[in-house]
Amino acid sequence: MENKWEMLESSNEEREKIWKKNRTFAGDVWFRFRHKPTAIAGLVIILLLLVFALAGPMFTDYSYSKQNLEVVNIPPLMKVFCAPDEDGYLYITQSLKVVWVNRDGTLGTQLKKVREDSASSMTIFDCNGKEVGLYYGKKPYVLADPNTRVLYSTEKIWNKSYILGTDSLGRDILTRLMYGTRVSLMVAFVAVLVNMIIGIIFGGISGYAGGMVDTVMMRIVDIISTIPLTLYVILIMVIMGSGLKSIIVALGTVYWVDMARVVRGQVLSLKGQEFVLAARTIGSSTKSILMQHLIPNAMGSILVTVTMLIPSAIFMEAFLGFLGIGLQPPLASLGTMCNDATENLRSCPHQLFIPALVICLIMFAFNFVGDGLRDALDPKLKK
Amino acid sequence: MKKKLTLLLALCLVCTGVFAGCGSKEEKAEAPQTIDDIEGEEAEAPAEEAGEAALADAQEMVFVLNNEPDTIDPTITNNSFATPFLINCFEGLVTYDENGEVVPGNAESWECNDDLTVYTFHLRDGLKWSDGSPLTANDYVYSALRVLDPATGAQYVNMISDYVVNGTEYYAGTASAEEVGIKALDDLTLEFTLVAPCPYFVDLVSMWVYFPVQEATVEANGDKWTASADTYIGNGPFKVTEIKMGESYVLEKNENYWDAENVTLDKLTYRYILDVSTALTAYENGEVDGVRTIPSSDMARLKAENAGVQTVGSYGTVYYDINCSKEPYDNPLVRKALCLAIDREALINNVAQLDAQPAFSFYAPGYVVDGKDLTEGRSDFGLSANADVEAAQAALAEAGYPNGEGFPTVQLSFYSDDNVKKIAEAIKEMWEQNLGIKVEVSSADWAVFYDAVQNGNYEVAAMGWSADYVNPMSFLPLLYTDDVTNNSFYSNPDYDAIVDQVKAEKDPSKFAELVKQADELVSADYPVLPLYYKSNNYLIKDYIQGVYMTSSSNLYFKNAKVLAK
Repeated sequence: MENKWEMLESSNEEREKIWKKNRTFAGDVWFRFRHKPTAIAGLVIILLLLVFALAGPMFTDYSYSKQNLEVVNIPPLMKVFCAPDEDGYLYITQSLKVVWVNRDGTLGTQLKKVREDSASSMTIFDCNGKEVGLYYGKKPYVLADPNTRVLYSTEKIWNKSYILGTDSLGRDILTRLMYGTRVSLMVAFVAVLVNMIIGIIFGGISGYAGGMVDTVMMRIVDIISTIPLTLYVILIMVIMGSGLKSIIVALGTVYWVDMARVVRGQVLSLKGQEFVLAARTIGSSTKSILMQHLIPNAMGSILVTVTMLIPSAIFMEAFLGFLGIGLQPPLASLGTMCNDATENLRSCPHQLFIPALVICLIMFAFNFVGDGLRDALDPKLKK
Repeated sequence: MKKKLTLLLALCLVCTGVFAGCGSKEEKAEAPQTIDDIEGEEAEAPAEEAGEAALADAQEMVFVLNNEPDTIDPTITNNSFATPFLINCFEGLVTYDENGEVVPGNAESWECNDDLTVYTFHLRDGLKWSDGSPLTANDYVYSALRVLDPATGAQYVNMISDYVVNGTEYYAGTASAEEVGIKALDDLTLEFTLVAPCPYFVDLVSMWVYFPVQEATVEANGDKWTASADTYIGNGPFKVTEIKMGESYVLEKNENYWDAENVTLDKLTYRYILDVSTALTAYENGEVDGVRTIPSSDMARLKAENAGVQTVGSYGTVYYDINCSKEPYDNPLVRKALCLAIDREALINNVAQLDAQPAFSFYAPGYVVDGKDLTEGRSDFGLSANADVEAAQAALAEAGYPNGEGFPTVQLSFYSDDNVKKIAEAIKEMWEQNLGIKVEVSSADWAVFYDAVQNGNYEVAAMGWSADYVNPMSFLPLLYTDDVTNNSFYSNPDYDAIVDQVKAEKDPSKFAELVKQADELVSADYPVLPLYYKSNNYLIKDYIQGVYMTSSSNLYFKNAKVLAK
């Protein structure tokens, strides 16, 4: 077609040809999904968190329970003072003790206290044979030479031993965060599994069978959803003992009710349509109608419901952990980490901020993905 | 539109840059070089106050409590969270002054017979309840009998029934009220007849379980007499005038108190803030004048800032109970190994962040005879402030578990509390590291936890003991065979024999000698896992004076004064 103004041949084939590129349903969904930046961002974050939680612990030198009581409550970014012999730095902890910090930012041990000099509001510590004074007469506290009272120069350096700092028992927050994220993602996985299996089957049967069966099944769902989950967890813990197992069992027994309702609604509206009638006419069994015709057609809303339920399950686990009825110490979950940090909130806010940020990230990521999927699966939004 | 927005943003950025630039320049110019520079910035120290500081016009203060008591009925509760009410709304026969010494309270004087079995108290003339009605010796008899009545459900009943003649029998229903050894000889004279000689009975009657309650209000209102301000009638320096459940209690000066002219404070409000860091924020903002509990991580800072931290040595010990009736903990070597493997200094300084002394025995210092504390010159029983890993491993090997091999998993239980939890986690780690054994920790609410401990359903459990009255006899029964408070189920006939002697000993120096003997005998057997001796901390602003706390953690507001700010 060198000449754009040339008349096109008008054949039947040309007229019937679909000029737009032909895409499968999945391809179509993926196309719309990847053109939504938030959805892609969510997906990337989830993948990164997965890597962080599963592969991360291989790269740290600490375990989630290893304590170093010499260095408790150290933040990631430390304001340090240059040691008198210039060999390293000194850091004042929140309990007014002095910790040695090497030149490269790794932590040493606490300095030995020599004496208390309350007349000049100073505590004297021994630093490699030299005396340093911690002046606490006025905030912010400073380190100075006890004799000349000259302040040591300050610097801000990053904590290289513990990248995200330590908690109140001197445990590495980064490592605990990896295990905490692992717990959260595991809860997410369980929630998906339970929803996909129990929720779909229960809702599908209820919707397709209809009548008395439907009424009874839906009343069961109503009863389950009226009992608060916290109560379930506490009751289950009395029998099974506290721990992740109890939380998973509690989630497993009740978390499918929303999904069952959604699937039932979808099946109810689909089962009167012609293709079901056709399937029934040619003698398909109830099972194959349900599994091969109805459920696949309801898959859009099922996927959306799942991605929306995951964050609430994760949040539930964090919430229970925060209340102290989750994991037993020293196991870490994001909720228990937040709980441990509230006591220190005023002096070490980073301990609360970091796990809270990760909870936020996970929630955002799953919500964004859920949002993206909903739009992508909705044929009305097709452009 | 978009362009405008970008422009605006850019403008903002530039502005902040400029301001930030200014800020850093100023900072640099003023960066202090020496401590004197910092001190120089400080405002001039307040001028020396001439003589007595002036009192503020409004003698009112707000004090924050962090735990609600189960009840504030002195005859029922043994709950230390109730003491702010019991101590300040009631007064017993004797009370404590700010030096921790027994002084006359409702009783003017007292005497006892030579074998220390009959104590006679003479009440002050003209004592009144807070509603103005007269208070007599009969009220004391009524209250004691109320405690001994099983229907009352008194938690401290053994503090009376163990000592007074026919107390246990009356509780069991086999003796009548007239036979109980508590008698009002007349309106002002009260006589206690005891089952055995008791040299420390005067210390004992300072406990609130011996406080009087008014018969009229208790009979008229039943258990609900503590629930409303009108019916909560006491005889102490303050009376409750307003109750908002779970929120606040208002106490006002009781004009009918015998020493009312020496009570300066007019209004004392107890506010409940359950979260300690929230309470601290309120304190630092000046909303409240005092707080009962301090978050441990803020302790060092508050102390350094002179924010009003009050530390009172407490007659108590924090220790872990070891179930001595269970395998393998019935072996003293195993208990020794567990005791040795703990770094007490790290626990105190870095975990609990307290101002406390490491403990090597369950018996705390605090009882003085002839100017010498009973614990002076006591041995350390082979323990030290730091962990002695080699000795611990040696002891465990001697017990038949070299390197912890074959040792069953230790079940370490604790009750829900931030600090207790931290310590339990730290101890778990120390044992696993130092002894090579496995430890599992589990927590429960106090009620559930304590029930399990009392029934012996535990292996190692977090515990602590604060003396109810200042006498070694409040500690020694802890390890006495089959005593109700003996939660470690330890039994040693030799020890029991010495404690029996201690109970009856009248001579102070012999008494001291016997207590020492008992302590040395039992602590060398490591029946419990001592951690540190308790001290109590609370916050109070510097313009409030005269508030004091005794070593049994009772807080007295009787002498409180609010100075002009």
